[in-house]
Amino acid sequence: MRHRRIGLSIYAIILVCCFCGLVIALFSYQEPTGQLGAIYLSRAPSETGAANIVTAIYLNYRLYDTLFEILIFSVAVLGVRFYLSDYREKEIVEKIPESQIVRTSADLFFPPIFLIGIYLTLSGHLSPGGGFSGGVVAGTALLLCAVALGANTVGKRFYEPTLRWLEWGVLLVVLSLPLLPIVVGRLPFTGLLPPGTMGKVISGGSIPIYNLLIGIKVFIGTWVIIHYFMRHRGEV
Amino acid sequence: MLMIAGVIVAVILFGIGLLGMIFRRDLIIKLLSLGLVNGSVMLCLVSLGSRADGIAPIIRGPGNADYVNPLPQALVLSAIVINFAILALALVFVMLLVEHYHSTDSQRIEHEIKREREL
Repeated sequence: MRHRRIGLSIYAIILVCCFCGLVIALFSYQEPTGQLGAIYLSRAPSETGAANIVTAIYLNYRLYDTLFEILIFSVAVLGVRFYLSDYREKEIVEKIPESQIVRTSADLFFPPIFLIGIYLTLSGHLSPGGGFSGGVVAGTALLLCAVALGANTVGKRFYEPTLRWLEWGVLLVVLSLPLLPIVVGRLPFTGLLPPGTMGKVISGGSIPIYNLLIGIKVFIGTWVIIHYFMRHRGEV
Repeated sequence: MLMIAGVIVAVILFGIGLLGMIFRRDLIIKLLSLGLVNGSVMLCLVSLGSRADGIAPIIRGPGNADYVNPLPQALVLSAIVINFAILALALVFVMLLVEHYHSTDSQRIEHEIKREREL
């Protein structure tokens, strides 16, 4: 056991050195302010029509990466569901003792938080936000509800059984949407819609569509993870 | 200056997280350390893309303002999502182990597994 620990710590030191070396290499071989970033900054507004350059990169230039990222997220959600369905389910989810403060604040805050999630999702091409963050915010709103009302009550209303179909349907749409432009006779991935004028609500080509779909996917995924953890741990 | 400070902090956090993953025996703390390592890598990438007096890469109007490099931020976004997915899945595995062995101590779990094999 002792030898193993010494070996592991040497390994850790080498890893940290490699990390430092990589950083130094990044500094010395490429200008940290990056020419590639400058190219994106100058070309993205006219080519994609999105004011948020980060969104333009991950939903237009590097859409391929993002699609597989969504796939990884889906596989993780599937894994949580698969492994927890074998797990002994606690009989009753203990209800949190009725607290007027929690109940009232959940009633008060649920609609605005959910609305902020939708806003973040739909305005990802104009301002900070996007599908991932918006979906997580909306999922957190449901968590607040679950804390106030109990996981089972919210689970009955939100989860079974529609969301399951919606989740996989959205995944199918997200993964098949990049191929749709081929049917219309345009370039695949992002050629479906014209970029439009930068700064308008409807602009950015297909970026808002992807943002919306990713938002729904992440929202459902977050809720499934939270819900399964609550149901199988037996507490919030 | 901001960039150098960010990278130095990132390397320190990386080291702390790595040592935590190796030397702490509690599985939950190992997972927290993994999160720390992930966060340090994100910090390193974002601070590599930063520049003095740079503003967020969201274009408000014509003209060349000092925008920071948007590319590392787009990469970090993927890292955040995958970190979330990994942590959720790993917590499930920890839950299964705890259900079976009633402990989050990794050495004790290894010991129990060894004993089970001998039986």
